[in-house]
Amino acid sequence: MEEPLVQVKNLKTHYPIKGGLLNRPIGAVKAVNGVSLDIQAGQTFGLVGESGCGKSTFGRSILRLQHVTSGEVQINGKDILSLDRQELVKARADMQIIFQDPYGSLNPRMTIRQIVREPLDTHKIGERADRDAEVMRLLEICGLRRSVADRYPHEFSGGQRQRIGIARALALKPKFIVADEPVSALDVSVQSQVLNLISNLQKEFGISFLFISHDLAVVQHISHEVGVMYFGELVERAPAEELYAAPKHPYTQALLKAIPQPDPGREKEHVSLTGDIPSHNDPPKGCPFQPRCPVAKPECAESKPPLKPVDVEETSSKHQVACWLY
Amino acid sequence: MSEENISTGRDSLWSKSRRKLMRDRAGVAAMIVVGVYGLIAILVYLGLIGENWSTLGEEGFGGMSSEHWFGTNINGQDIFSRAIQGIKTAFEVGLVVAVTATAIGGILGAIAGYFHRTIVDEVIMWLYGCIDAIPFYLFVAAVAFSLKGTDLQPWGMHIAMIATFWSSTCRIVRGEVIKIRGLEYIQAAKAVGVGPLTIVRRHVMPNTTHILLVQSTIAFVGAIKSEVILTFLGLGVVDGVSWGTMLSESTSDVLRGHFGNFLGASGFLFVLVISFNMFADALQDALDPKKVSS
Amino acid sequence: MLCKTRSTPRKLAPESIMSESTSKPVLSIQDLVVEFKTEAGLIRALDGVSFEVQEGEALGIVGESGCGKSVTALSILKLIPSPPGRIAGGSIELDGVDVVSQPDAEMRKVRGSLASMIFQEPMTALNPVFTIGNQMVEIIRVHQKVSKAEAKKQAIEMLRTVNIESPEQRIDQYPHELSGGMRQRVMIAMALSCSPKLLIADEPTTALDVTVQAQVMEEISRLQREMNMGLILITHDLGVIAESCTRVVVMYCGKIIEMAETEELFRNPRHPYTRGLLDSIPRIREKKLETLPIIEGMVPDLANLPKGCRFADRCPKAEDHCRENEPPLEDTESGGKVACFIPN
Repeated sequence: MEEPLVQVKNLKTHYPIKGGLLNRPIGAVKAVNGVSLDIQAGQTFGLVGESGCGKSTFGRSILRLQHVTSGEVQINGKDILSLDRQELVKARADMQIIFQDPYGSLNPRMTIRQIVREPLDTHKIGERADRDAEVMRLLEICGLRRSVADRYPHEFSGGQRQRIGIARALALKPKFIVADEPVSALDVSVQSQVLNLISNLQKEFGISFLFISHDLAVVQHISHEVGVMYFGELVERAPAEELYAAPKHPYTQALLKAIPQPDPGREKEHVSLTGDIPSHNDPPKGCPFQPRCPVAKPECAESKPPLKPVDVEETSSKHQVACWLY
Repeated sequence: MSEENISTGRDSLWSKSRRKLMRDRAGVAAMIVVGVYGLIAILVYLGLIGENWSTLGEEGFGGMSSEHWFGTNINGQDIFSRAIQGIKTAFEVGLVVAVTATAIGGILGAIAGYFHRTIVDEVIMWLYGCIDAIPFYLFVAAVAFSLKGTDLQPWGMHIAMIATFWSSTCRIVRGEVIKIRGLEYIQAAKAVGVGPLTIVRRHVMPNTTHILLVQSTIAFVGAIKSEVILTFLGLGVVDGVSWGTMLSESTSDVLRGHFGNFLGASGFLFVLVISFNMFADALQDALDPKKVSS
Repeated sequence: MLCKTRSTPRKLAPESIMSESTSKPVLSIQDLVVEFKTEAGLIRALDGVSFEVQEGEALGIVGESGCGKSVTALSILKLIPSPPGRIAGGSIELDGVDVVSQPDAEMRKVRGSLASMIFQEPMTALNPVFTIGNQMVEIIRVHQKVSKAEAKKQAIEMLRTVNIESPEQRIDQYPHELSGGMRQRVMIAMALSCSPKLLIADEPTTALDVTVQAQVMEEISRLQREMNMGLILITHDLGVIAESCTRVVVMYCGKIIEMAETEELFRNPRHPYTRGLLDSIPRIREKKLETLPIIEGMVPDLANLPKGCRFADRCPKAEDHCRENEPPLEDTESGGKVACFIPN
């Protein structure tokens, strides 16, 4: 079994909460609180969770686009968190990112050509003349006509801007791309187009993806493995088919039940999840989900369950849950 | 293959702004007036008109006539020519101060904003805080005094103005850059490995040009007004003539019932400032990125 | 027009909801045309839209950006900013009131009392510098002659009705102290404080997490049933429509292209766009798909509409004459309507 392309061990990203007269740290927002996962080459890991669970923070932390409190990140054999400035710039060629907001992710004052060429210029790839040809090639791969190159971002729709963002991310031929909610801001009929594009790029170029989304439906078809985050921690993780067919964690089950299905005949499940996500000012003791959990036991408030393989017959060994029920 | 919107040719944000500006009729009218002033300033600079501003005449306080459109002052000098010369002086001071102060403020503001929450930002904020604490006219007087007798003396006023005007631009640009910093296209550039100063130059500053343009027009008008006051107080222009000189003369003129100097200087000044302000407003509306980009 | 206070929400016997409504509809829109003046010229955000909402009925309006669903909602309460927009034709009758010809002063009495609206972003719809209580009391006192204390009591009751816990404490809190789901519930409480006959909900759950979404939709549906209110639910989420609406209107580029009972629409969509939408919206399926079904192309620019059927460029079944003529909205055998020359 090959070494995974991406290995994250116990990543923590904490922000101190300051307060009191002297602005001392009185607590911490533990946005990412000890998440470990790995991704094989050419595979997609879908990371799902609701707002505030820390999934976007996680995505940016592993690319070192923001500060990390502790943990280890290995991408393509390099220890990302310990690289110095120059080594980090070089390593960036292996790992890129696609953003959520098609309207904020492109510089409005630059042409598309300049935007997509910037990575090539920064890393001095090829001769200047070759770079323009490469820009055209990238635009075509992403389903855009060559004539878009000399236009400006505001002339395009959300879906097209996302394609431009994807072309930019592909420029350095990365082995790993973090896709941070890439279709959430798009019209529904365009979402599938972009998902198909990402899926095709993976098959053609063997790129690994960390696909971050709040929408389990979006992630189902594009992921090989899916992880569910809650309050900064990974609470369940499994091969994609298994997670949808047999979710184990009560939160995952509630999430799946809450998604409205376009099927009027289906009996509406009774909403079993009440309350809101906990506040960082007053984090729950033990399992973070326990205050809202419909099947919580007394020991759930005592200590936090670790993420470990489920010991039940029909699930594979790769299915892991953080819950005292198992 | 996805279709694109049918768009005719390149359509940068600048051309959209320009079209929007052209539709604002009051703004266009104001722009034309300012343009006429500018044209006169150039002609005066080239020595084509108004060059006889200092020729003394026999008849002091001559009234309006076909030779002297605004009459003459106490020395028989043609008020109209002097007023025209004032345009050249005003524009000279205005342009030098506006361009330099805005450039300094823009660059320092961008750096301060981008390096927010570091020592760089703290130092720059401290710097403009100190400058703002000093009363402007005292500062100018101090600078003028310290440059007395040196080569830089004629530039004393300019230096003092630049040294104080950059702070407001710096502050505004800093605020905008702190917002821009969080935008995803900046993150994207970081993710590619672009260095911080390159990001400031390539991504941040071009997105502040709408602010810089408007700020420079404000600095231009501010410089002209300040120059008039400084010259009136005797701290400004020493050779040549400006509206300030004329207004200074007019204090004694009007006591004797002669309003030529006063009307000439304040008339020209008033029209220029009003037009420039209207133009700056129209420019700000046209350049507002929230209104321009679709 | 002062609104009547009800101490308890009117409960309706289940049979009355099912029976055919012979009474006048709460809302009747005929051939509504709304235009906007833009840089690119005059565009028609709504181009001849007609539909009705009966008392106690939940109508869903579904469509993507630019289809005109939000403009429709704003028109009903005459909230279209004008300039640059204006109602250029057609009629809107809201419980007997002719909205199009109402002067603004009269409309202010209608808004909040006869019909209310809730919006997508509860954070921006609520004023951050006032407490919830202040805002609710203000609305109540616009429509009723009551004292502040009395209004506050009513407000607390409304908060209880939308299942906000400890309403007596919550009433004095500021919007930022509440979660997104709670803020949306406050909006609902505010909208319902004068028992309107029609509630317009414009993407009420889009900005919320999916678990909270389910709770808020439950509230809306329950209150709608209990108060026998008409509900217009505007959303792009077909799942929400399926679970909460009895009838659906599908809009595209300012026109209605299909209208049907919910079950019928999902079982047998007539218009190729509706079919494409149902197929391509990401949803949880039985089996994983290699390639997701899509609708080719993108929504056309309203300033540059193609000749003929507006969907023709993207339609897998389009024929030449679809590009020449616009298909009219016609009845189908199952009681719905569709605007297509080649419906399913």
